[in-house]
Amino acid sequence: MGRVRSLAYLGYRALVAHPLRRLFRQGSGSERFLASYAPEGLSPTSPDDRAAGEAASACISCGLCESACPLAAVAPSVRDLGLHAAFRLYSKSSLALGPGAEGLEACSSCGGCESLCPTGVPIARLVRSFAARARGGAPA
Amino acid sequence: MAEEAAPILCDVLVVGGGMAGAIAALAARDAGARVVLVRRAPGSTGLSGGAISVAHDPSALPEVPFAGRAGVVESARRVAATVAGHPYQVLRDSLDRLWNAVEFASGQLSHVLAPPTGRNRWLLTPFGKVHPAATCQRSMVAGDLAEARGRMAVVAARGHLWWDAGLVASGAARARHLGAPEVQVALLDLFMWEEAALARPVDLARLLEAPGAAEQVGELLAERLPRGSTVALFPPVLGLTPEARVAERIEGRAGIPVAEFLSDVPSVPGLRLQRAIDLRLGAAGVEVLRGEVREASALALEARVGGRKVVAKSWVLATGRFAGGGIARRGELVEPALGLPVLASEGPFAEAGARLAARSPWALTVRDSRSPQPLLSAGLKVDGELRPLDAEGRVVNPRLFAAGAVVGGHDQASDGTGMGVAIFTGWLAGRAAAGVARAQRALPGVG
Amino acid sequence: MADRKSYDVVVLGGGVNGAGTARDCAMRGLSVLLLEKRDLASGASGASSGMIHGGIRYMLSDRKVTELACRDAGYIRRIAPHLVFRIPFLMPFASRAEEASLAERAAWYATEVYVGTYDLYQPLKGGKPSTRLTPAEMYALEPSLRPGLGGAVTLDEWGIDGQRLCLLNALSAEAHGAEVRTWTEATELVREGGRAVAVRWRDLVTGEHGEARAGAVLNATGAWSPHWGRLNGVEVPMRPGKGVHLSLDRRFSNYGIICRAVDGRQMFLMPHEDESIIGTTDDDFYGDPDDLEATSDEVAYLLEGVESLVPSVRRARVTRAWSGVRTTLYEYGKTEDALSREHQLLDHAPEGAEGLFSFVGGKLASYRAQSEEITDRLLSFLGKAPRPCRTHEEPLPGGDAVADAHELARRHGVGEGAVRRLVYRHGSRAREVLLLADDDPRLKLVVCRDEGILAAEVVFIARHEKVRRLEDLRRRCRLGIAGCGGLDCARLGAQLVAHELDWDGDRLRAELHQLLEVNWRERRAVLDGFQLSQEELLRAVHRGLGEV
Repeated sequence: MGRVRSLAYLGYRALVAHPLRRLFRQGSGSERFLASYAPEGLSPTSPDDRAAGEAASACISCGLCESACPLAAVAPSVRDLGLHAAFRLYSKSSLALGPGAEGLEACSSCGGCESLCPTGVPIARLVRSFAARARGGAPA
Repeated sequence: MAEEAAPILCDVLVVGGGMAGAIAALAARDAGARVVLVRRAPGSTGLSGGAISVAHDPSALPEVPFAGRAGVVESARRVAATVAGHPYQVLRDSLDRLWNAVEFASGQLSHVLAPPTGRNRWLLTPFGKVHPAATCQRSMVAGDLAEARGRMAVVAARGHLWWDAGLVASGAARARHLGAPEVQVALLDLFMWEEAALARPVDLARLLEAPGAAEQVGELLAERLPRGSTVALFPPVLGLTPEARVAERIEGRAGIPVAEFLSDVPSVPGLRLQRAIDLRLGAAGVEVLRGEVREASALALEARVGGRKVVAKSWVLATGRFAGGGIARRGELVEPALGLPVLASEGPFAEAGARLAARSPWALTVRDSRSPQPLLSAGLKVDGELRPLDAEGRVVNPRLFAAGAVVGGHDQASDGTGMGVAIFTGWLAGRAAAGVARAQRALPGVG
Repeated sequence: MADRKSYDVVVLGGGVNGAGTARDCAMRGLSVLLLEKRDLASGASGASSGMIHGGIRYMLSDRKVTELACRDAGYIRRIAPHLVFRIPFLMPFASRAEEASLAERAAWYATEVYVGTYDLYQPLKGGKPSTRLTPAEMYALEPSLRPGLGGAVTLDEWGIDGQRLCLLNALSAEAHGAEVRTWTEATELVREGGRAVAVRWRDLVTGEHGEARAGAVLNATGAWSPHWGRLNGVEVPMRPGKGVHLSLDRRFSNYGIICRAVDGRQMFLMPHEDESIIGTTDDDFYGDPDDLEATSDEVAYLLEGVESLVPSVRRARVTRAWSGVRTTLYEYGKTEDALSREHQLLDHAPEGAEGLFSFVGGKLASYRAQSEEITDRLLSFLGKAPRPCRTHEEPLPGGDAVADAHELARRHGVGEGAVRRLVYRHGSRAREVLLLADDDPRLKLVVCRDEGILAAEVVFIARHEKVRRLEDLRRRCRLGIAGCGGLDCARLGAQLVAHELDWDGDRLRAELHQLLEVNWRERRAVLDGFQLSQEELLRAVHRGLGEV
């Protein structure tokens, strides 16, 4: 019985209520979607962002990169989390990038880190790309 | 079309810059070959903890005192006799030369490595375990539990949480009946400011290198040293380079021998070893290229590095295993550089050959993590001269040799033979490659 | 000397229903003992998809249920605001042929209407309205989807850390006077004259044992119920289903994607905290729930299902495969997914155990309502005056105010990346954690950089969050379970806990071994690509150097 009533109601929604709702709503589908989610940081992941994430996935947390990072010794924002956290913790989620921005911005792209990475993570390039994303701009 | 840069010509091309590759390059150089070493990065040797573990006796009962344990070479023979597929077993006919290889390596790297004695040293780890090693870094020798007499003081740095001196000391306490010295914790006001409290081990090592810092630590130690202490054991942060003489400076003020315990990751001793390797390669005249080997062919033994063609008379493949990238699993097990088949492993699949590579990780692992794990011991199968074999058991190319963790059959990360295999296979492969190159040079119209 | 005490209610099982019921009972003035033979949330509650959804599928049968479910989701968001996070889902439309048939278009419209109708209840839980996306719009928002799809409909749901949800309920129960014993097994039900009158228990860590007299006994042991019932002479019929999830090392996307498995079952790839998870399998499971592992076949099934819509998921790093056994009501003949996950409270009086009740079924999202229903029933059984339930009003610990990570990071001089995770896990109690670090600056050390775990957090958890074994930290703060597998944090975390709980070196190493062993069993089936490289390094440290 409940099922019949439920289906009848859904039929009414399909034939009357939903067409009306479609008629009166504003903006395109993606505009409405982004209006709901972008303010909460839930933005799309571009192919470039995803490629950066895939490259960062090669990190095995060994910390060798830090030994050649002049910032790791002096900048608290880098020191606290370590350089590899720049692409481990910060790159795990776009929501985490903001808090990491300061540390990422401090990087001078000396490339010392990269020359030590046993798994070949393009660290300097990734840090630049994450920093750009944290700023909200296009990747450099 | 752009003009092609001149090809790089050499006798021996070593691919991979870890311990195995470095020893292969130095051994080939020692035999008079022109050697080029190509590496993507220095390799995972920088992650090693300070010990050069070659072998410990798999049949030794836990209650046998250190002094009664089998020597290093005898231990390796016992490994060869008991572990099916282990490189020591594959190379069992050459094992009498294992000691030459270990002495060669410690001689080449005498900058940081202590001379080996033939028996294992027993060194404490940050986990409070005792770890056997054929040799170790010079800064660790005084911490050998089998040799230390009197009382050992394990230094606790009150300002830093990274190590737990009590945990380290508990390892020595449990080894008392095996011949370990008495041990106690010496609490020092080390690293007492906030910056130091949050520093990583590498930064702490830098801090101690600074002028006056080690001396200050030595004075603190002299003040706080428990009565009767004969040696002080520090966390493994006594300087990034031996030139900084951190241990000696502390000793100078404290008046007793000072040593470090072994390191986990990140590892200051590992970085020290890596630097020593780099220095030695340069001094020995090995040309080091940074880059990846591309378009490599196992039959022609040709490849490109950074756009330049490399032509060598013989090759040593020393690309490591999973961390180094010498072996990878991408849906199945592969050897990425030359596309060689992955056929060797330890345990139930030691004889499985070709069926190994496509098996699921589930099938290649054992539930108890302490058991040998076939997946983690997967690598190339080689003959007694370290030449990689194909699925039919044929030598892929008589001018191609493999060394180190890319050779399968041993759980190199954990079975206590990883460094030994790297050194032994590197030394054998380097000499063999130089020999092949020499023979090639002697042939008219080749090279 | 055995411990003997009396309680109104003895709850067996520290899953979300057991902990939720203990909390409700305690808040309504009953004396409560909760016994859990492992840790809180170590069964199905801790291995669920971690969602507080609003019961969209009940709209087909009874819209009232959907309304209640949405209202309850809103309550959970109210009592633990820090612990919930929004997950926008895309439900892409796939057609068999290149051009979608009329029937397919009608089905897509029906989906749009269906989700659009769910929107009517979204305000009850703070959800966002759904949207129909054209193919072009969909690909712009999620470029990883395979070509040739007919657009999508979006759906808004909440995710939650189910393990901490359990813990917070248990902590709140304790704050209201309940006694909560973890790693304590209920060894025997004592019956007298057709009544269940007491439960004997044994502490698996200390070996202590005791007997708890009970007015009523609630068996909420989930997948362990049938076995426990058999041992104690009652029958708890249910259909146990094994569910496997995969974790990726990072957020694949900020949007969840609903996919279909090869056998037509619905699956998902969704962001969850700072990772993405893929779920889930659902197969009958009659094995031992203590001995649960995902197999490579299950991993392949999940990856193939997602790959059908998101081909590049193959390049993602899978860090672990974790599993749990959910309980559904006893019924034969249907495929597993179509089975109702509705719940039932069985009264064992007819079996000569009056006062013993077993809870079967249910879902994480409805735990609060389920607990309320159980508590109502227990109150009436005990003949106590009915008192109103307040579990939807009183915040869970840390849920009373939303802390500002940026501000806290600045004030306490700690990296904001770590504070952000701290605030997620602890809500307003993050402040107390940071006060520890103010007193002892060493505690500002970041123990795990994958998860942003501060040393201060480990200490706080060891002191205040019912830690008895090191592996409990897996569920409190995800110690050792991220991509690095404990490389950074396992030893350091163990040292901190050992200091707080006064463990000696041997105990510390045993605990570390146990933690790493559990982690290993979750990684075994997924060791591929860079996770295998990671494993080699982990093994070098933990097996090679630590021999743990």
